[in-house]
Amino acid sequence: MSADVRLENVWIKFGSFVAAREIELTIKGGEFFSFLGPSGCGKTTILRAVSGFLKPSEGNILIGGKDMAGIGPNRRPTALIFQNLALFPLMTVWENITFALEVKGVNATERRKKADELLELIALPGQGEKMVGELSGGQRQRVAIARALAAEPEVLLLDEPLSALDLKLRQHMRTELRSIQRRVGITFIYITHDQGEALTMSDNVAVMRDGVIEQVGDGTTIYDAPGSPFVASFVGENNLFRGTVESVDNGMATVTTTVGTLLAKTPVTASNPLKVGDTAYVFQRPESLRFAKPDNQINRIKATIVNEEFEGNFWQVYFEVPGSTKPVKMSMVNDGSSSERRRGEVVELVCEPELSVALAEGPLAAE
Amino acid sequence: MITDRLGKYAVLLFVVMFFAYLFGPLIIMSITAFNSADFPRVSPWDCFSVEWFDVLVNDDKLMDGLRNSLIIGIGVVALSVPIGLAGALMLMQISPRVRPWYYTIVVSPILIPGVVLGISTLIFWDRLGAMFNANYESIFYDGIFLTIVGQTTFISAYSMLVFISRLQRFDPALEEAALDLGASHVQTFRKILLPFLKPAIGSAAVLAFLASFENYNTTVFTITSESTLTTVLASKVRYGINPSISALAVTIVVLTLFAAAIMEIKKRRTDAFEKAISKAVIEGTDALSKLGRKSNRLIDPAFAMIIVIFLAGLGTAYYSGTVGVDECKTSVKEAKKLETQRRVDERRKKQMFEGAQPGTQQAAPNTTAPSTGKAKGTEGYQGIFAPTNLESQVKGDSGAANDAATDDAPAKGTEGYQGIFAPTNLESQVKGEESSN
Amino acid sequence: MALYNYLKNFFTRNGVFLSVFLLGVVGFWIFFLIILPQIFMFDFSFRFNLPPAEQGGPNDVYTISHYKFLLFGSALSEDSYNVIDLTVFLRTIVTAVFVTLFDFIICYPIAYYLAQVAKGGWARLMVLSLIVPFWVNEILRAFAFRIIFGSNGVINDALMAMGIVDDPYPFIRENIALYAGLGYAFVLLMIFPLYNAVESLDKNQIEAARDLGSPWWRIHWRVVMPFAKPGISSGCTMVFMLSAGALAAPQILGGPSSLWFTQIIYQWFNTGGNWPRGSAYAIVLLITSIVFVLLVMKIFKVKLGEIAR
Repeated sequence: MSADVRLENVWIKFGSFVAAREIELTIKGGEFFSFLGPSGCGKTTILRAVSGFLKPSEGNILIGGKDMAGIGPNRRPTALIFQNLALFPLMTVWENITFALEVKGVNATERRKKADELLELIALPGQGEKMVGELSGGQRQRVAIARALAAEPEVLLLDEPLSALDLKLRQHMRTELRSIQRRVGITFIYITHDQGEALTMSDNVAVMRDGVIEQVGDGTTIYDAPGSPFVASFVGENNLFRGTVESVDNGMATVTTTVGTLLAKTPVTASNPLKVGDTAYVFQRPESLRFAKPDNQINRIKATIVNEEFEGNFWQVYFEVPGSTKPVKMSMVNDGSSSERRRGEVVELVCEPELSVALAEGPLAAE
Repeated sequence: MITDRLGKYAVLLFVVMFFAYLFGPLIIMSITAFNSADFPRVSPWDCFSVEWFDVLVNDDKLMDGLRNSLIIGIGVVALSVPIGLAGALMLMQISPRVRPWYYTIVVSPILIPGVVLGISTLIFWDRLGAMFNANYESIFYDGIFLTIVGQTTFISAYSMLVFISRLQRFDPALEEAALDLGASHVQTFRKILLPFLKPAIGSAAVLAFLASFENYNTTVFTITSESTLTTVLASKVRYGINPSISALAVTIVVLTLFAAAIMEIKKRRTDAFEKAISKAVIEGTDALSKLGRKSNRLIDPAFAMIIVIFLAGLGTAYYSGTVGVDECKTSVKEAKKLETQRRVDERRKKQMFEGAQPGTQQAAPNTTAPSTGKAKGTEGYQGIFAPTNLESQVKGDSGAANDAATDDAPAKGTEGYQGIFAPTNLESQVKGEESSN
Repeated sequence: MALYNYLKNFFTRNGVFLSVFLLGVVGFWIFFLIILPQIFMFDFSFRFNLPPAEQGGPNDVYTISHYKFLLFGSALSEDSYNVIDLTVFLRTIVTAVFVTLFDFIICYPIAYYLAQVAKGGWARLMVLSLIVPFWVNEILRAFAFRIIFGSNGVINDALMAMGIVDDPYPFIRENIALYAGLGYAFVLLMIFPLYNAVESLDKNQIEAARDLGSPWWRIHWRVVMPFAKPGISSGCTMVFMLSAGALAAPQILGGPSSLWFTQIIYQWFNTGGNWPRGSAYAIVLLITSIVFVLLVMKIFKVKLGEIAR
């Protein structure tokens, strides 16, 4: 039922503009795979190429081992869920859901049966007679999924289908999508610019920038061991310090930065290995920072508290650090210790070398 | 403050004058249809009568023209709607480099004067017929065929504009979704695009028919030896006018008002339905069915009322126009006779006085008909059953409907017939109707 | 090659059936209804007026005599120019310009009023009621003006009853009825483009201008009119083209001694029986129209798509 998808050296160009370059990727059958990147990075282009609406300028796309060149979208074993869902407004819910069967010539009784089954699956039993316009946003979402599943695709492609929903519904739909994927067991390829969606749902994530895949990996790898400054800055928050590599030794790099000498790990996933004398970035996540204790010998940073924000379970504390143009941010779990801090107080911060990441200089994500 | 108020009154006065300019001629013409006088006029008023409607219906030439107009209208609809649809679909797909040229060519018939289109169609088929040595009975010289072809040239462009404006609201993702779900291109066209275009097909057909029905400038050249309603009308109006033409105008005005009222009601209904849907979605309840029923019930009586008032008005007008007309006419004739007699007497007296200079005093011939001879008996009827009254009744009704509609119906694009009466559509509508020029 | 690729894409995109339908129908329209008839008419205007038997024969050669005739008249006439036809042509164009201006002047305030000032049900009712005169055909509308302006029409009756004139004023002979009728006939073609254009203007812009102390005429000149430019050019073009090309209104309302250019064309085709000459005159009218549209596009800096909507 589920097929793997291979992209071999795929290039997609529009005139002189290169929307996707040298994409080399294998998505395993039954996997929940996400493309994550800012808008305009080429992720939707790749999805349209897989679904057959776009022809790659170069390279091959294989689904289930079969080359898809010359096969139109209506004959590919894929189904696409559109960003705006593209439900047919003039049809009822059940007509929408069984459209794929209708065009195959399946008779109405059988289609009704299939529609009822799928309505059950998406938890909308008995709603088949409604018009699409009568449904709420979340319900439409589910109808779109059911409509795509009715085509019995081997690969389901989803183009930011949750972006129109409000936050709460979005979070709910994440869980639901994941559970539907586990139940039907087919390959899901999901496009999003929301890292939360990508990280919570996916088995694997490809982070894209300017038509290039920067890194492929599971959620924890992407987050804890980013392969490039772009991934580090796009996925999650980071404090960033620029400096020169003093030494690289056993997966750890010593970098002299504007805020002092910092020791940080060099991830194995890094696309460019660090060499002594290179310019490098040291990334420290807000939740990895904490107030220094007397026994902390290294990675100490002198800082002045400038602001605090209370978020309930977290405190966000902002510091001014000599040598850093931007305020440094620290997230700490609310343990009731807020009264010990004062604005203007000078403190020392620390981030363990294992939680700091050093990467060769490269493009960053836009703020 | 005072200048402000003055300005306001000036604007209001201007608006009133504008609408008077717009409706005055139609109202006056409508009134003349009910005057039994042989010449279409308001004053002097002879008798209230509907005899001109009878004359209208029994005018063979006019009815013949009407039949041809209907045939031509149907032919033009059958040709120009598919052509307009194809033209619009083509525009969406044509490569961007060719598009401006293509657009210029297919839109040009709207801007080319109607007479030029008529002439070029006539000559083209005439020459073509000559090339094939066709005889004069053949299609190349057939007035009805030529008129259909000539009108189709520009009416297709109107219907194309209707389709374009509808297609601009089409979400291409729907087409892709259908393809992605395994539909073939033809299936996608039939199951997705055509249903979406259905309202536009309806309004393009109505528009095409009206444009064809009203066309004069092109038709007058292409019709050759046949005739249409407009060409018959034009020759009638040019060579002597009589009130049966006013009667035709009244018929058209009443039908228009009637159609406008129905469209307005339909629009209100769809608006109310849409509102009910959005409300049901927002509240997440099943209130929809209830609301839907309620809105149906709200509107149906109004609809029935309009029909009843319309028919009742028509009936009474007809009744009052047939009863007692003969007596009235006789009395008018008598009054006229008396008046003429009086004048003759007067002239005689004058001539006797001024017998020395004969011929200098010419009696003003037939310029003013007697106003004293007005039959008093009809005046009572007039007030109640005059066509203007009937009209304003119907208008008043649709007006009230409007007032109510705006309260709860935001002017959203309706799906119904694409709002033939909606202001945004008027432009193309209007162009269609003026196409004859 | 590019064409081949394009056609291939076109056919895969639409399927064979639909592709053939689209290409066939649009091709028929463009060639057999639009382009070829104009070319034939153009060709025909350069030929002698021959009886059918001689057409295509040795005498069927090209000539510019019909265009010459429009300029210089017949060889027999004493004038060095064809004064009658040229005067009619010029009068038609000038009158059409004035009709256009007249319609613009009376329609702009109404369009502005309906679009920006009037509120709610009233505005809707007024807009709706604008259409009613439109469904009444052009000839009937001209007829209505004949009733009103006739020698014993409503206006003359009123004038005489008030004692302003003693004899009926010859409105028809003086062409006043024609001007009023032409202006009336195309009023709505002016008002709807204007209305649609002005309606989409954000009220805040007007209020901002007023707030900045701009007098009302400057608000219109600097804010509303520039914004409504496409509508203005569309309305003016349509009204001009339709009045210059009008036939019914001049036939019905025109005075006996004055002609409209379209009437001359009509005469060559009917009573005159000289089709080639009529074609030549029609070509002149067509070229005038094209020049006018190009002028409007240039002066107002609008695209064709904005004019013909």
